[in-house]
Amino acid sequence: MASIVRPTLLRQSCLKVATKKAFSTKPSPTFPAINKPLSSVVSKDAVRSRFMKEAVPSSMRVAAFHATGRRPILPPLPQSVNGTANEPAPVPDPSPTHGSYHWTFERLVSAGLVPLTIAPFAAGSLNPMTDAVLCGAILIHSHIGFEAVLIDYIPDKRLPKTRKAFMWALKLATVVVGVGLYEFETNDVGLTEAIKRVWKA
Amino acid sequence: MLAQRVAQQSLRRLAATPSRNAALLKFSLTPTAILTSPQFRQVATQKMTPTDSYQILVEQRKKRPTSPHLTIYEPQIPWILSALNRITGSVLSGAFYIFGSAYLVAPLLGWNLSSVSMAAAFGSWPVIAKVATKLLLAFPFTFHSFNGLRHLAWDMGKAFKNQTVIKSGWAVVGLSTVSALALALFV
Repeated sequence: MASIVRPTLLRQSCLKVATKKAFSTKPSPTFPAINKPLSSVVSKDAVRSRFMKEAVPSSMRVAAFHATGRRPILPPLPQSVNGTANEPAPVPDPSPTHGSYHWTFERLVSAGLVPLTIAPFAAGSLNPMTDAVLCGAILIHSHIGFEAVLIDYIPDKRLPKTRKAFMWALKLATVVVGVGLYEFETNDVGLTEAIKRVWKA
Repeated sequence: MLAQRVAQQSLRRLAATPSRNAALLKFSLTPTAILTSPQFRQVATQKMTPTDSYQILVEQRKKRPTSPHLTIYEPQIPWILSALNRITGSVLSGAFYIFGSAYLVAPLLGWNLSSVSMAAAFGSWPVIAKVATKLLLAFPFTFHSFNGLRHLAWDMGKAFKNQTVIKSGWAVVGLSTVSALALALFV
């Protein structure tokens, strides 16, 4: 008999406590109903005294649920939802040019830079052709690196125009630097030799 | 079994608060309602337009936790060196880009950036300034080079164990510091 009564009574006491407000879908001024701690719904008088609950501000009650302190870098911007609340995140078109080929190309350039970096130290200097190859490889490597920095720190979703402007500025800068290096390589002693001379000056 | 159910239902009726809802009380006392046993949930629902519910969603999203700052993380060699890799790479590439573009516009602005004049200018600096400048360039160079080897190893799927990553990280710190000092002081 007791086993029958117990869940029933529990259910009844739950119903008794569940006020209209607790199940309301409207956000309360302090915090939305969805994030209300369970204690305010179920054990109003059983677990904590009324005084305790009112004394602790709601922000602290919420903070207790997080393992770490809230230290936002910037307050969140006005949020928006595209489509419905349960729309899946869009999956970009799989393209090897933007994916694996790009990745492999990056690694090939990086790996190629290893012998090109060791060579001037081993040989004392580089011949003009190898020096030009080194400059080109560094230029590509730098361009890819700067691109990654822009992609990471200028979110396309939030600042699409800024991202585009910076990407074009980077492309322009890479071309300018490429032409400048061509001038330097053809009119001067070459990058490695120039660094060597300045370093030993 | 049926008897047990009936007992359960009537117990529920008895335990229900009669003062809460007069209509509910009336309904629950009607004999026909005992066996059909409707379940009552006292949930308040509201009629709401899609824009209203959207507004609620927006309000809730504003209260989501935002990303905490880097300072909450314990300083550990893997992520610090990863950040340093980007910083040193940017320093080197930045210097490279500045020099390349400056060399192109030098004739227009009347600068002389030939290797001879640069070497002469640098040679005239005091020793401390020379060593400091060399260190400022040599450390990013050595660090990014050695750490780059580490990254290439990872890209091949090697040396991925946590202890290996920590050990190789400290090895890179030691190697790059020593070689940068050697380049700045003895070369």
